[in-house]
Amino acid sequence: MTKRVTNHPTTRRGFLNLAAAGTVAALSRPAPAAAAEKTITILHESSFIKPFDEYVVNTLAPAYEKETGIKINYEVTSVGSLPTRISTIAETGSGADIAMNGLLQVIQFGEKYLDVGDIAGDIGEAQGGWYDAGREAVLVEGKWKAIPFSNIGQLMNWRTDWFAEVGVKKFPETWEELHEVGKKLKAKDHPFGFELGHGFGDNHGWLYPLLWSYGGAEVAPDGKTVVIDSDETARAVDFCREFFKDTMLDDVLGWTDVSNNKAWMAEQISCTNNAESILWFAKREFPEIGKVTDQAMNPAGPKGRFHLLNSISHSIFSFSPVLEEARAFMRWLMEPKQLGGWYAIADSYYQPLLHGYDNAPMWSVEPRNLPYRDALTSVHLPGWPAPASRQLAESVAKYVVIDMFAKACAGASTKDVIKSAEAQLKGIYRSA
Amino acid sequence: MIANAARRRAPLAVLLDRQSVFAWLMMALPLAFLAALVGYPFFYGILLSLQDRPVAHVGTFIGLKNFQTDLHDPIFWQVAINTFVYTGVATALKMVGGLCLALAMNQHFRMKNLVRALLLLPFIVPTVLSTVAWLWMLDPAFSVVNRLLVALGWPKPGPSWLGDPTLAMVSIIIINTWRGLPFYGITLLAGLQTVPPELYEAAAIDGAGGWHRFRLITLPLLRPIILIVTLFSVIFTFADFQLVYVLTHGGPQNATQLFATYAFDIAMGAGQLGLGASVALAMLPALALLIVALTIYLRRD
Amino acid sequence: MVTGHGRIEHVVRVWLPVGFFLVVALFPFYWMAITSIKPNAELYNKNVMPLIVHAPTLKHYVDLLTKSSFLLWTWNTMLVAVVATAISLILGTMLAYPLARMRFAGASLIAMTIAAIYLVPQPLLFIPLADVINHLHLGNTLTSVILTYPTMLVPFCAWLLLGYFKTVPKELEEAARIDGASRLQTMRMIFLPLCTPGFISAGIFAFTLSQNEFLYALIFLTKSSVRTVPVGVIAELIRGDVFYWGQLMAGALLGSIPVALIYSFFVEHYVAGLTAGSVKA
Repeated sequence: MTKRVTNHPTTRRGFLNLAAAGTVAALSRPAPAAAAEKTITILHESSFIKPFDEYVVNTLAPAYEKETGIKINYEVTSVGSLPTRISTIAETGSGADIAMNGLLQVIQFGEKYLDVGDIAGDIGEAQGGWYDAGREAVLVEGKWKAIPFSNIGQLMNWRTDWFAEVGVKKFPETWEELHEVGKKLKAKDHPFGFELGHGFGDNHGWLYPLLWSYGGAEVAPDGKTVVIDSDETARAVDFCREFFKDTMLDDVLGWTDVSNNKAWMAEQISCTNNAESILWFAKREFPEIGKVTDQAMNPAGPKGRFHLLNSISHSIFSFSPVLEEARAFMRWLMEPKQLGGWYAIADSYYQPLLHGYDNAPMWSVEPRNLPYRDALTSVHLPGWPAPASRQLAESVAKYVVIDMFAKACAGASTKDVIKSAEAQLKGIYRSA
Repeated sequence: MIANAARRRAPLAVLLDRQSVFAWLMMALPLAFLAALVGYPFFYGILLSLQDRPVAHVGTFIGLKNFQTDLHDPIFWQVAINTFVYTGVATALKMVGGLCLALAMNQHFRMKNLVRALLLLPFIVPTVLSTVAWLWMLDPAFSVVNRLLVALGWPKPGPSWLGDPTLAMVSIIIINTWRGLPFYGITLLAGLQTVPPELYEAAAIDGAGGWHRFRLITLPLLRPIILIVTLFSVIFTFADFQLVYVLTHGGPQNATQLFATYAFDIAMGAGQLGLGASVALAMLPALALLIVALTIYLRRD
Repeated sequence: MVTGHGRIEHVVRVWLPVGFFLVVALFPFYWMAITSIKPNAELYNKNVMPLIVHAPTLKHYVDLLTKSSFLLWTWNTMLVAVVATAISLILGTMLAYPLARMRFAGASLIAMTIAAIYLVPQPLLFIPLADVINHLHLGNTLTSVILTYPTMLVPFCAWLLLGYFKTVPKELEEAARIDGASRLQTMRMIFLPLCTPGFISAGIFAFTLSQNEFLYALIFLTKSSVRTVPVGVIAELIRGDVFYWGQLMAGALLGSIPVALIYSFFVEHYVAGLTAGSVKA
């Protein structure tokens, strides 16, 4: 455990702290004994791929300790709890030295993170350069507040057998083509199932790219001007409505992230947007379904092909008492030997954001995962082209874009849903 | 029995035995506890709602701006309506259903204790777990109700319980009623069992029929307990979080978004603690209004 | 009480309505039970009648108990519920007794304050409370929930106990006072033992609320080893977007059975406590 940084009494909380400290000391976490040995605590969200976490505990940590004598404490928090855990650490100034970030945490906690531009620069130079997405994910006001680690991509999942029944051997290139295929498949009782409800991933994975591929955007690159009310957005919304009506199950309007996985295994749907979990689960539990499941890049719209950037990165807390050790550890962790092994053990679930891995052997393990790599040149944060900001996080948390499309699919007029989204965004970006 | 101790007692003991001193000393600890863990956070919550307070940042005072943002937020109004509708309909159903259950249970039959315990199961099982079961039961492809309806002619695959905004609200009302009705019923049953049978007999002798007996004897005597249980139920339903969080997370398109879940999304999802606190605080006047209205209505003599 | 005439009338009057409620209440449990013993292949098969299981398996139960921390979560839940209930009963009594038995300045104010605290439900407090818990460094400790659960339980216990206390006849206490006992002695040795049904009533209700609590546990407990059943199951039997339905349902059943057992033993007292002094000797 890291040596706890004493909480200097703030006016409001100081008194409460002093009063309570005595009474609750017995039941709170015991104060660590002053260790001669240094420890670095790294916080991670429980990985979908179990061996990924085990690799750190069983291989990486012991290797580092052998080399430097510093202990690595790998703390795992369960899926969905990462923001809460980082919040506690950031607010109290103690609990971990390095944290893994998901989509929004670099933005929200950037002020408590160390500027690691030098480390990132060196890594980029040594391993083929960063994808633009890497920069997009971690730059806050021009500073590298995290070292990019990977993307966890969302792709189109499709049933090769059913698509073949309607004469389609290759996944359609454009949304319009996919729409046509969907109509035929729905007629054959194999509808599509794209999430339009309040999940966190399987809805973002296709709705933001849909918006972008028609040229629409929430906010301009200046990060202030709300531009959602445009012809491009209207076209995207109109398409979405037709796409939903002609190809999908009605129920998708209320789907959360788990629903399409369930529907896939129940063989209810022929196409959806998802991360690796469907293929992974199918291969293990329903091999027959796994054999006919394939993955493909998102279709292209008139203004291009896009994918969601669901970035994972690592940051160092600026209040860490072992700053130099943490920096050194990050350098070591991101060296090809450690990094390559760590990526490889996870079945390409984590797509590296360094060009040096474009042709790594990990990609030949499951060729159906290759589109994840190919998508890396067109991934963006939800809220793009505006830069990462707290307003972006608010828009995502309030489901502005999701509900705009969903309401249209449920029957509202395009004009109304766009006006409504615009009003929401103007409120959210009020302080930009 | 306590020995007949002499009236010679220490002045301190006499002092401590005075009603007001004893009372206040006894209540000191619980009051301190509530002040620290309810009072303090409550006022701190008010302070937060007046601040712009992104997580991990220092708060800046902005007065009532958060509330202004809420008032201009169309979702906020939808959330308010949702919460009132949800609370109102579910409570009415629980009250009526609970009364029916209590009346039915207020008879002699074998295995009554077992039945009573079984009926409380929906109330006992942790809400998040039973809601996961409901997720499956409300899936059109697996729902027994849908199968029945389709067999009776409804177009396949039957109603979309969680996809249609209206049906989604119906669904959460149904699940909330399912969960809370037994508690209502068993509590009202306890109240029913306190009605002296002589009153019924006397009324029967006077010629009063079943319905009259119910309206003129049972209902008035049950009023206090109905009031208490309803008050309790209204507060819990109004502030419900778990059910929606697991079932729909506020969807489809915020049709099931409640104050609690919206405040959670804003505070924990967007990291806007001040704005989230303002949404949570908005519950207070609404709740107070409901309680006052309810009390007046049910206290009518 | 209504007595029926003849068996058919008895069945109609009793078992038709009671049966209806039983079916409605228990159907989801039947579903949970069926799901918990269905192998995945059957579970996801939409063509099969979902109400029957063809090849039952105990795999989900085994996986739940061996591959997840379910037993640890159950232990945590029970510990927290018992301690929080005990605290709430004690604090509730300390509030209710003076209000029930004493006359003193400020009594009605206190009563109103406690009622007002009802109006402060959890979702209103969770944001500032999270801050408080953080700064007391109680995050990820069972203490955080043991301390915060009574905030919702104490007002209820106080109200219920107050109602019950008021119905206990005063004669015994008055006799003890005349004999020279102090108020404290009277309360401890004469009064409280008479109130067992009330305590049981408030206690099992508080216990149920504790083990059902989710919001505070979700926010304060992020490490698997300190989680309670509701949060543990939801957070960890769900890997991303893959729900382990069978295990989830097994967890639901195993999570409800201990409390249901407690209820079946105590339901008589529970009802007696709520009835509050109605049963005349």
